[in-house]
Amino acid sequence: MKKKIVAAITMAAMALTIAGASAPALAAKPSLTLWVDTPRIYAAELYKKAVASKIDVKIVTIAQSDIQTKIQLANTTKKGWPDVTFGDPQDTAQFAAPTNGFAANLTKVLPKSIVDGYAKYGNGNSDCIFQGQVFCLKNDLAATVLWYNVPVFKKLGLTVPKTMDEFAATAMKLKGTGYTAGGYGDHNYYASFLQSSECPLIATPNNNTVRTVVTAPACTRVAKLLQPLMDAGVIDKRSAFDPGFMKEYPNKGMVAMTLGPAWYGKFVIQPKDVWNMPAGTMTAAPMPKWAGAKTNTSGAWGGGVFIVSSHSKNPKLALEAATYLATNKTVQSQATGYPAFGPVRELWHKALKSDDYFAADPYPAMDDAAKKLSQLNRPVRFPFVAQVGTSLTSKITEGKPLAEALDSLAKGIQSIAPASGYKVVTK
Amino acid sequence: MSKRMRINRSAIAGSVMVLPYLVLLLLFGIAPIVIAFVTSLQPSMVTPNGGFENYIYSVTEFRFWPAVINVLTFLGIYLPAMMIVVVGISLLLDNIKPKLNLPLRLSYIVPAALTGSLSVLIWYIMLEPSLSPYRDLLHGLGLTESGQIWRTGNLAFIFVMMAFFTGAGNWIVVQYGSLQSIPDDILEAAKIDGASQTQIAFRIKLPLISKYLVYMAVLVFAAGLQIFVEPQLISGSVFPGLAADWSLNQLSYTFAFASNNLSSAAALSILLLVFCAIAAVFVVFKTDFFEKPKKRLK
Repeated sequence: MKKKIVAAITMAAMALTIAGASAPALAAKPSLTLWVDTPRIYAAELYKKAVASKIDVKIVTIAQSDIQTKIQLANTTKKGWPDVTFGDPQDTAQFAAPTNGFAANLTKVLPKSIVDGYAKYGNGNSDCIFQGQVFCLKNDLAATVLWYNVPVFKKLGLTVPKTMDEFAATAMKLKGTGYTAGGYGDHNYYASFLQSSECPLIATPNNNTVRTVVTAPACTRVAKLLQPLMDAGVIDKRSAFDPGFMKEYPNKGMVAMTLGPAWYGKFVIQPKDVWNMPAGTMTAAPMPKWAGAKTNTSGAWGGGVFIVSSHSKNPKLALEAATYLATNKTVQSQATGYPAFGPVRELWHKALKSDDYFAADPYPAMDDAAKKLSQLNRPVRFPFVAQVGTSLTSKITEGKPLAEALDSLAKGIQSIAPASGYKVVTK
Repeated sequence: MSKRMRINRSAIAGSVMVLPYLVLLLLFGIAPIVIAFVTSLQPSMVTPNGGFENYIYSVTEFRFWPAVINVLTFLGIYLPAMMIVVVGISLLLDNIKPKLNLPLRLSYIVPAALTGSLSVLIWYIMLEPSLSPYRDLLHGLGLTESGQIWRTGNLAFIFVMMAFFTGAGNWIVVQYGSLQSIPDDILEAAKIDGASQTQIAFRIKLPLISKYLVYMAVLVFAAGLQIFVEPQLISGSVFPGLAADWSLNQLSYTFAFASNNLSSAAALSILLLVFCAIAAVFVVFKTDFFEKPKKRLK
């Protein structure tokens, strides 16, 4: 009996030694921590699977609104940073600032194939470039297009507007028909109208200056064009997501057209619990052109990025991971948003076409808009999107004049920008 | 046993009982304050010299005074509403026969089981004219669009409703408990002397539980001053930016995490603490909160 016990102890000891000996081999496997929001978990999982034998990948789910907070906390404690995080261009502007320093400068380390894959298909990565330096990889583009209802246009004898003036005239024809030309009491008013009109609100001539000129014709013409439509009730002061708006128009199939980002198609127009527009009715046309503009510029509502940490212990692997997440074919063909990386778009297009929901293929319009994204207003270090909500959107939904709503936004920017180290110029 | 030994023993027993709390107070009360104070003196991007500049920056920042007004408006409605309703209902509850009492007390606690974050969701549904169970009432009042309700001018009232319904129930039960501590003989004596129910309530019961009421006022004031969850959640998801930087705590949060300025965030937090402490000290010393319990009236 004693012998057996001794043998057992010896074996256990040996087992422990072996385990101990193999431990360094396990530790030698590098590890990466990825922070992603819920829609991007599948991408992180695909990456984890692809590199399972070489890299120990840890995936952490975070809410997009928490990213700045969590990075700031890690900066304070000087540990706990992820190697790669999902975020938005505004986060990148914040993280690229020397006072924050989280975002790694990728300008010199980015492979040429990646740079070209963005550059040759329009300005896919422009949101990530600050004064010529690359600080992130763009995941998806949320360029605005004109969504319209094919059978309704036919029934009412309307033609698809090619200019903003035509858009207004077409919308006016909806008066009394019960159809709407969209709800704009949300960020869409900024993206589809102000940004596409190239109204200088957050232009950044350099890293520490914000240019806000609401008196510019590119700004004033927006309210001039839309106020009569608002007054006539053919466009709505409520958000496209407002339950009352949804009940009154889209849920009854009563949307004739709306300007909105590319993701409206699969995430607003189609889903049963959002607009639930009937199949075979909606499709996208190119953005209408503003009078006197060189081309039909689009705005953007959303569009995420992947940011590599400057504190990563494996900077090379971290960059590879970010590149995989933003540009891999398998990942991007399953992506929710329109891919920013050009070479993978064709596959995404195939997936989009796979169900016959849209009346016609909306892809060409999305492609057109993605290549003509306005480059005037840039990602800034202060919470611009929240500011739009506080001053512009809240005024619109309260039914205040659109010109007043814009003035309120400009005032908000002028007050808030200095807190993030910007000088504001108004000329 | 000598008197001395007895004192020593009770002193030891006392410190043993206080010690765990002292440790927690040091770790999670005093230490954060010290850290915040040290942080509040450090330089930031907008206050390169650091020091008390951060305090000046916090109170001169353009969002500071609007937030002060918001929070004071909120407190101006919330605090009196809580005090009046809680005192009123607990006095009524105290007069009700024991049979009905228990289910009633339970019914007060139920809404208090909701947290602030959950109440945001509930009140969103209640106040959304197309989803609300009371939509007919809202429509009858001419409220047909959420934009008529969820607007800047109404926010203080909406947040008071959220905070009131999650907070009042607990306090009703607590104050009912304090009313129960009043000895029956006092009340009987008053009755025999011919005091009416109202006189008993205002002349006897309220003065006897005034300490608990002061305690409640201090806590409700402190909680109200720090309002954060309700405005933050509403403007984070449902109506982006609607109540951004609405309260002082939100502003501190924005300084820290959106403006890269931990120093001013810490300075603002310290200011809030000081203000809260002054208010509490004032209320406590203006009343007999810390006086030793007097001998019972007989």
